[in-house]
Amino acid sequence: MDNDNHSCDNNCKEKKPAFKWDPLRFISKNPDEVLKKVDKRLDKLEKEYFKNTKEKENNLPNIFDIYGVSRRDFLKWSAFLTSTLMLPYIFKPRIARAANILTRTPFIWLDMADCMGNTEAFIRNANPTPAEIIINYVSVNYMESIMAPAGYQAEARRTETIKKDKGKYILVVEGAIPTGMDGKFLTIGAKGDTGIKIVKETAKNAGITIAIGNCAAYGGIPAASPNPTNAVGLSSVTNRSVINIPACPANPVNVVGTLVEYILTGKAPQLDNIGRPLWAYSGRLHDNCYRRGHFEAGEYVRHWGDAGAKKEYCLYMMGCKGPFTWNNCTTAEYNQDTSFPMRAGHGCIGCSEPVFWDRMTPFEKPNADAKIIIPGVEATADEFGVALLGAAGVGIAAHAIYTGIKKKNETKKSSSKKED
Amino acid sequence: MENKENINKYGEINLVHRMTVIKRIIHWTFFLAIINNIITGFYIAYPFLFFGKTPTQSDSLSTGIVNSGETNQAFIMTWMRDFHFIGAVLIDVIFIVWLYLAFFSWKEPLYKSFLPFGDKLEEAWKMIKHYFTLKDKPKTGRYQDPLNAFVFTIFHLLILLQMLTGFQMYVASFTGTSAVGAWWPWLMHFSTDWTLFIFGGLTGVTIAHLFIMWLIIIFIAYHIYIEVWRSVMWKEGDILIPFGGYKYIRNKSETQ
Repeated sequence: MDNDNHSCDNNCKEKKPAFKWDPLRFISKNPDEVLKKVDKRLDKLEKEYFKNTKEKENNLPNIFDIYGVSRRDFLKWSAFLTSTLMLPYIFKPRIARAANILTRTPFIWLDMADCMGNTEAFIRNANPTPAEIIINYVSVNYMESIMAPAGYQAEARRTETIKKDKGKYILVVEGAIPTGMDGKFLTIGAKGDTGIKIVKETAKNAGITIAIGNCAAYGGIPAASPNPTNAVGLSSVTNRSVINIPACPANPVNVVGTLVEYILTGKAPQLDNIGRPLWAYSGRLHDNCYRRGHFEAGEYVRHWGDAGAKKEYCLYMMGCKGPFTWNNCTTAEYNQDTSFPMRAGHGCIGCSEPVFWDRMTPFEKPNADAKIIIPGVEATADEFGVALLGAAGVGIAAHAIYTGIKKKNETKKSSSKKED
Repeated sequence: MENKENINKYGEINLVHRMTVIKRIIHWTFFLAIINNIITGFYIAYPFLFFGKTPTQSDSLSTGIVNSGETNQAFIMTWMRDFHFIGAVLIDVIFIVWLYLAFFSWKEPLYKSFLPFGDKLEEAWKMIKHYFTLKDKPKTGRYQDPLNAFVFTIFHLLILLQMLTGFQMYVASFTGTSAVGAWWPWLMHFSTDWTLFIFGGLTGVTIAHLFIMWLIIIFIAYHIYIEVWRSVMWKEGDILIPFGGYKYIRNKSETQ
């Protein structure tokens, strides 16, 4: 990759972007121009958020020193993030700069109807990676779970940020937004504002709006059937374009990656048809799973803890929903990049897909064992199909017997007529 | 002398051409492809490990024979999926040919006996009545009877649904492009993405695919029964149509 860029100097115009999902392709088709624009934006942001060069250069080392993350660790991580973002290697130093700027970008984190699982995933780590540390050290102006002010003060911080950093601050929303009863199922803060009101206010002037976790993206568990609070995802209540980063909880890498990309380009990454960044959510788990070979070989775990489970066989028959789920758990792993469900020996539950609580259940049985949604029918497709086939068989047998008896009677009649 | 007696007893016997060679080939290819896809489809939905290797079966002689040994020698699911796709391709081609022949066949276009035209509705109703009263057998004509035409059309619509839901599941493993170009996954997305909204996501599409298979199995049971029943009751050799292409027309019926 590095060499490519050097040889590119002569005939760059003929070169086409190497990746279909190159997230930066919206900027320019000419790679040199892309780099120039990104550098210009980074320079501008650095001037804005740092007083002098010393502060700029000491910012990240100061933060990482506390957690014992060495410079080398950070370089490895920025290389990792560059490749995860499907960017060329030449972007690595720029990603490091963007991460630096990210720690100073004004930031509002709203909690709606949810379990704060995403917050927990980020702030409670034994060995946090740079991604989690950066999330912790972003200049959080408003985040209920970690901010010092309370009550009216906290509210004031939020409104102040909305006014002062209009069009610049990052808005991250976690949790579904109840819309039933004018949103009164969820009231937050000293004034008792409804969640839907706060979200609308805050999203209006945000530089970038991110829905983090399945609840914020698609409604998630609060919106599971029968959804009494009429909870919906963020994109349903605001007319701003929302970047969905679903999963339960969302992977910090995906969040930081999206934010870093925003810092680099000032734009949202390329999204798929349900609002997820393509660089993270374009791969199907089933296709990238390290147990796929066992799937193809017909080697399946049949019971929890059986011999197949010990040999890490495929979890398809234990209800793995990997074939229906798009995410990058298998490559950018969870828990400080150490594991993901299938590696831990449990099937995927499809948490990065819309309505997963209704569509992916039962979680520990194959999809074929799910109940079909036909009113008045409480059965799996196979049970109902067998019942219908049985009914058809009974009908056929009844018709055959009826035909036989009737025919016999008629031949009797006609033969008795003949005898007459 | 003997012939005349027969004519008195069974009526005059004439031949009618019903299925051309192409149609007979289509019929039996369809049959094989559907049976193949039902078996392999069952395996894909719920791997019955009779052939496959399970931790407890791997050392057993009887079931280990089919595939024993290392993982790289087994690949039973790959084969099942492969054969399922091959059967699906056959079904797709046959469906398109059927659609063409339904309108442009020289011998017997399906639309000629299809319901909305003429007094076909009444004829179909007469056939249903005949099934249950065994009286007033509708006259055998040059084209197939409207009731069968209607049932076959329903069956082909089920096949079409299977094709569309199947393509939706197939395109799930594509990542925006393919060996033949980006148009191919685009085409599949374009033509089948609506199934996601109708059936509720990819899991719903899968279950719909499974359930429609049961409807097709029910059709097969009905189809075989009714053709055997006709052969027995009408004595016009209906069961011979997919083999020889001909059936008989008699101007006399026991049930008249």
